Amino acid sequence: MELLLQQIFNGIMFGSTYAIVALGLTLVMGILSIPNFAHGHLYMLGGYITFFFISATGLGFWLSMLLSVITLGLIGVLMERMVYRPLTDQPHINAFIAAIGALLFLEALALVVWGPQGLRIPNPYPQNIQFLGITMGLQRLLVIGGAAVLILCLHLFMKKTLMGTTIEAVAQNREGAMLNGINVNRVSAITFGISSATAAIAASFLSPIFMLSPSMGAILGMKAFIIVILGGMGSIPGAILGGYILGLIEALGGGYVSAAYKDVFAFGALIVILSFKPTGIFGKKEA
Amino acid sequence: MFKLKQVHTNIGALQIIQDVSIEIEKGEFVALLGSNGAGKTTLFRTIAGVLKPKSGSVEFNGVPIHRLPVHKIVELGLVLCPQGRQLFPQLSVQKNLLLGAFPLRGDKKRIQKNLDRVFALFPILKERVNQQAGTFSGGEQQMLAIGRALMGEPKMLLLDEPSVGLAPLIVKHIGDIIANINHEMDTTVFLSEQNANMALNITQRGYVLESGRCVLSGQCSDLKKDEKVRKAYIGA
Ligand SMILES: Nc1ncnc2c1ncn2[C@@H]1O[C@H](COP(=O)(O)OP(=O)(O)OP(=O)(O)O)[C@@H](O)[C@H]1O
Ligand SMILES: [Mg+2]
Repeated sequence: MELLLQQIFNGIMFGSTYAIVALGLTLVMGILSIPNFAHGHLYMLGGYITFFFISATGLGFWLSMLLSVITLGLIGVLMERMVYRPLTDQPHINAFIAAIGALLFLEALALVVWGPQGLRIPNPYPQNIQFLGITMGLQRLLVIGGAAVLILCLHLFMKKTLMGTTIEAVAQNREGAMLNGINVNRVSAITFGISSATAAIAASFLSPIFMLSPSMGAILGMKAFIIVILGGMGSIPGAILGGYILGLIEALGGGYVSAAYKDVFAFGALIVILSFKPTGIFGKKEA
Repeated sequence: MFKLKQVHTNIGALQIIQDVSIEIEKGEFVALLGSNGAGKTTLFRTIAGVLKPKSGSVEFNGVPIHRLPVHKIVELGLVLCPQGRQLFPQLSVQKNLLLGAFPLRGDKKRIQKNLDRVFALFPILKERVNQQAGTFSGGEQQMLAIGRALMGEPKMLLLDEPSVGLAPLIVKHIGDIIANINHEMDTTVFLSEQNANMALNITQRGYVLESGRCVLSGQCSDLKKDEKVRKAYIGA
């Protein structure tokens, strides 16, 4: 029983991170209808930049995280403008290649600047809490709570603000949005900025618990894609639910069967769900 | 007010619009006639800035607009209600309409005034404000598309085949409403139609497009008498 609860707790924590990263990915996918393969790498960079501000400036965890989020937001805006926008009217394969180029660049950059060895952000909340017989690290609780607050804020932003509505509009009908006087390039840049900023938030919360390494972006990016496909392309609730489900599958599979097979469960779930529901859990039928 | 001078538009390598010149004065109600594939939609998308002309110029209120991005043209008050409607299918009627008022963002009073005006024209939209646009019938979607285009207070409205695929009774209803938009609201209207009967009855002047060229233009009363127009578009 305790093992089960402990695994569920860990599953929700990983799921929180997955949900946010997948949410950022699905937002951009909805707007640009191209997969930003570099999204996991933006997450990785966010972790390193938070590390940089903490270690180089001595600012605390929260301030460093804020600066990192702003920096990543700007990097996202730049990336949209320099990498993707010039390719808007080109065949999709060009954007695919550009995304892979961006991802290789970011990974090489981290390798050159911070080296291949793992780095750790000092844990701002190392305390533990005992609850229902399981041990919960305060920082891990922060990962869960922070993600929940962020998801709520994003939801309110999308549903209650004009900016959020224009993002939905551009995703649903790009030309229709233009004809209503919406500057779709600006909306794309802002969406990219938000997506990158949220990746930095997720990375900052998790990095005091797990090591930073230049290669961590690739694995996370891949998982985010699994979630986005599982949840139904471009679906926001699908990305959130899919994130938590993947976290739980991994934690339970890893806890009860073998931690070494953790990723096998993730990919296995993808294959099983897609064979029953090819458009994903929340996916719409192909028109 | 509106001047199209020797416009040529290509799609890929194909020359679709060839040497079209059109002039429209403020307050006029003008028809653009042409059969399937004549180039009406291509011409309208060129005016709206979605497509850029290969040569020639488009002028609106003295401003050359053929190099401007689409949203800048909308801000000048030239709005296209496109063929296929291009609604936001998963957003509510309310949100579709509010997005139509995007150029007026922040001006709550004007937006509310325009919303009331659109609801008065199309009461069905008021009854269904919270319904998703994608679940509407064709006629209702057309009304929403016209309503959305009116939300930004256009000075000139381009309507691309609003009657396509609709039952005759609804076509008549929409025709009446467009005529009403033209005189009551003082909006210049340029209406593209295959349905020449409907268009020639409500507009004042018309241009006839064939294979991307303007082959005929004149007062509606004259066009109605024209042998070629009668044969090709009225079926008499
Ligand atoms: N994307 C495209 N690629 C190739 N040809 C195109 C494209 N869009 C339009 N055309 C061609 O341009 C011509 C004009 O098309 P357009 O849609 O402007 O006609 P239309 O007068 O609006 O017709 P309809 O009444 O059927 O809407 C047609 O021959 C069409 O096949
Ligand atoms: Mg057409």
